[in-house]
Amino acid sequence: MVAVARPALRQDVRPDGVYTRDDLHGDTVLDADVVIVGSGAGGATLAAELAEGGLDVVVLEEGRYWSTRDFTAEASQMIRQLYRDGGATMAIGNPPVLYQEGKAVGGSTVVNGGMSWRTPEKILDRWWREAGLDGIRAKDMEPYFERVERRIHVRHQDPESVGKDNLLLKQGADAKGWKVIPNLRNQVHCPGSNNCAFGCPTGAKQSALVSYVPRALHFGARLYSDVRVARITRDGKRATGVVGHVVRADGSNGHRVTVRAKLVVSACGAIHSPALLDRSGFGSPSGMLGKNLSLHPNVKLVAIFDEDVRGWEGVHQAFQVREFKDEGLLFAAVNIPPSILAMTTSHRGAELGALMADYDKMVVAGMLCEDTNTGRVRNVGGKPQAFYQLSDFDADKLKQGCALLSEMLFAAGAKRILLPFALGPHAGELKGPDDVRRIFSEPVPKQTMEVVTVHMMGTAAMGSDRTRAVTDGFGLVHDVDRLMVCDASLFPTPIGVNPMETIQALATRAAHHVLSNPRRFS
Amino acid sequence: MSDYQHSPATRRILTSLVPVICPPEAAELGITDAIVDHVGLTMGVLPAAFRAGFVLGLRTYDLGALAFPPARGRRAHRLPPELADRYYESWLHGPTPIHRQLAIAIGQLLKLAHYEQPAAQERLGYRPAAWIEQVKRRRLEVYSADIQRHAQSLIEPDPLPGIAPHARSSKKGAA
Ligand SMILES: Cc1cc2nc3c(=O)[nH]c(=O)nc-3n(C[C@H](O)[C@H](O)[C@H](O)COP(=O)(O)OP(=O)(O)OC[C@H]3O[C@@H](n4cnc5c(N)ncnc54)[C@H](O)[C@@H]3O)c2cc1C
Ligand code: SF4
Repeated sequence: MVAVARPALRQDVRPDGVYTRDDLHGDTVLDADVVIVGSGAGGATLAAELAEGGLDVVVLEEGRYWSTRDFTAEASQMIRQLYRDGGATMAIGNPPVLYQEGKAVGGSTVVNGGMSWRTPEKILDRWWREAGLDGIRAKDMEPYFERVERRIHVRHQDPESVGKDNLLLKQGADAKGWKVIPNLRNQVHCPGSNNCAFGCPTGAKQSALVSYVPRALHFGARLYSDVRVARITRDGKRATGVVGHVVRADGSNGHRVTVRAKLVVSACGAIHSPALLDRSGFGSPSGMLGKNLSLHPNVKLVAIFDEDVRGWEGVHQAFQVREFKDEGLLFAAVNIPPSILAMTTSHRGAELGALMADYDKMVVAGMLCEDTNTGRVRNVGGKPQAFYQLSDFDADKLKQGCALLSEMLFAAGAKRILLPFALGPHAGELKGPDDVRRIFSEPVPKQTMEVVTVHMMGTAAMGSDRTRAVTDGFGLVHDVDRLMVCDASLFPTPIGVNPMETIQALATRAAHHVLSNPRRFS
Repeated sequence: MSDYQHSPATRRILTSLVPVICPPEAAELGITDAIVDHVGLTMGVLPAAFRAGFVLGLRTYDLGALAFPPARGRRAHRLPPELADRYYESWLHGPTPIHRQLAIAIGQLLKLAHYEQPAAQERLGYRPAAWIEQVKRRRLEVYSADIQRHAQSLIEPDPLPGIAPHARSSKKGAA
């Protein structure tokens, strides 16, 4: 029942081993050692390691295959192509949290900022202590981090790639005497095109699309894009494969795709992995599947300077302000295109025009907050829906973060600052350092905060105790045979830094475990 | 991506909202239709339930003007500029979160669409494509050896410790 015709669309750039909906002309049945659902940070890394280890790997990815030459600065077109639901997915709560997920071969790594940090030692210690995970402390993880960093080429930026917005951020931190460090990013001489969130048009960013995916293909993995997995099949307590459908151009289901495999891996990300397991009837005895969702809630503010900044010339987030890391706050400069910036302000009409006339003088800065509350993901009408309540403690932390970040940007010479609190165009604006006190003194109702996130984690958490965790320390689902989770769902707690490298290191470690135990998975 | 297209009624309502939300330059630059088209493209990728709710909300917004005394029995898309503005404000500060969320969503989609227009970007001096081309070229000129070296390393064997190296698999194709 297999119908595969290779050449069609984009044959010039599509590598061998990648199949798209144009290749699947009928219902398809495949056999493999391992089927991996999702080709992002977790899925692609695992695929490459297992394929190199000699296993026959099939990867199924709901998103399309795009190549470096498809990526442009046309922000909204890229968002429509590369993000799930046009980037407009919302966790229900007070305030609602807008979250974004990549949906393409390479997953969210295609649209991420490339920040590449190891899991902090204190977090790994906590996982060892509280989740009972062996072999997870810094010294155990060291070889896996090193291996990932080699593969995705983690480096500091070349100086000429750093733009003025980032230099101003650093200047502000230096003026305050705050700790500021150059960011580590997965890039090969990134020249600072400032397009990371819309796909890297130079190929410098070593997203999974240009690193682990080609490596996996080179070692014989097969990757089917445009295939949405509906459920995992089972025989009693054993996972036996997956069933899904080709995604047609209009998003509807096309031909059926079935994969039979000895090991089934869900690497769909922290929103879709718990939903897939739940849809497939793999509830966890711990009751924790879909729970424990952390988000690293994030708010941004806009500082306007007198001088030209042209924040779109130069890499974003060249530096991270680490002064408040122990309090769970990181700051960075993150330029965004005018369309997205306009969309996130409360200005309109002539007032919007006047504000945007200063676009070239703006520094957009944001913060990452290590959160203390958790939410959950549930299947509603067969689709995952996230629920998350920002805690009062974290709301206050975000408010304090805005005050600190504002102080710092005024120290760098900002003339006015727009806050991410929807208090109307003027009430949400600071005219100088004296106004900063206002943020501390005025209550900021949570519901007025514009909170976004790109770091969803923790919904199928690892832990040695099957009554408290969904998977063991390698992502193997407790009480199920041959079912693994390999993505951001695995984190027992938020990690307070950008998560990609942690996911990739855990995937490498999981691959090592599978390859070291061939009899268990054959 | 669905093949969503605005109905004439939705298009009319959105067109009437362009001067309320977008800077006056939208009219000067003659980009009103392009803005409304762009909103359609964005709506095409939104979750289906969200899209249906938004379309319904727009209709309600239009009809709701009938109950807005200053409108004197006119629908929103027929209001003169000053009244259209006041009517939109009445939703932005409306009695329920649904009023407010719809007004915000209308604003967001139109603002996004406005500043995605090349003419509006040109006004801001925002020319990212030229910048990308410039730095892309320079990267290749200066660093091509390093770039090649890394690309090559991606396909070199590097087995995990204790795992025997395997020859490249020849399994290909779906059959
Ligand atoms: C805009 C943005 C910026 C970010 N910046 C950074 C950064 O600078 N540094 C950092 O460390 N992290 C960053 N992140 C976060 C990081 O990219 C993610 O945490 C990471 O990619 C998650 O990896 P994952 O494997 O869990 O899922 P993903 O990488 O999201 O991959 C999951 C894949 O599974 C596919 N999928 C889902 N369901 C199905 C299904 N049913 N069938 C088939 N396929 C399916 C999806 O389409 C997707 O491609 C950013 C994220 C975003 C969105
Ligand atoms: S800033 Fe660097 S990594 Fe990001 S898109 Fe541009 S070239 Fe690629």
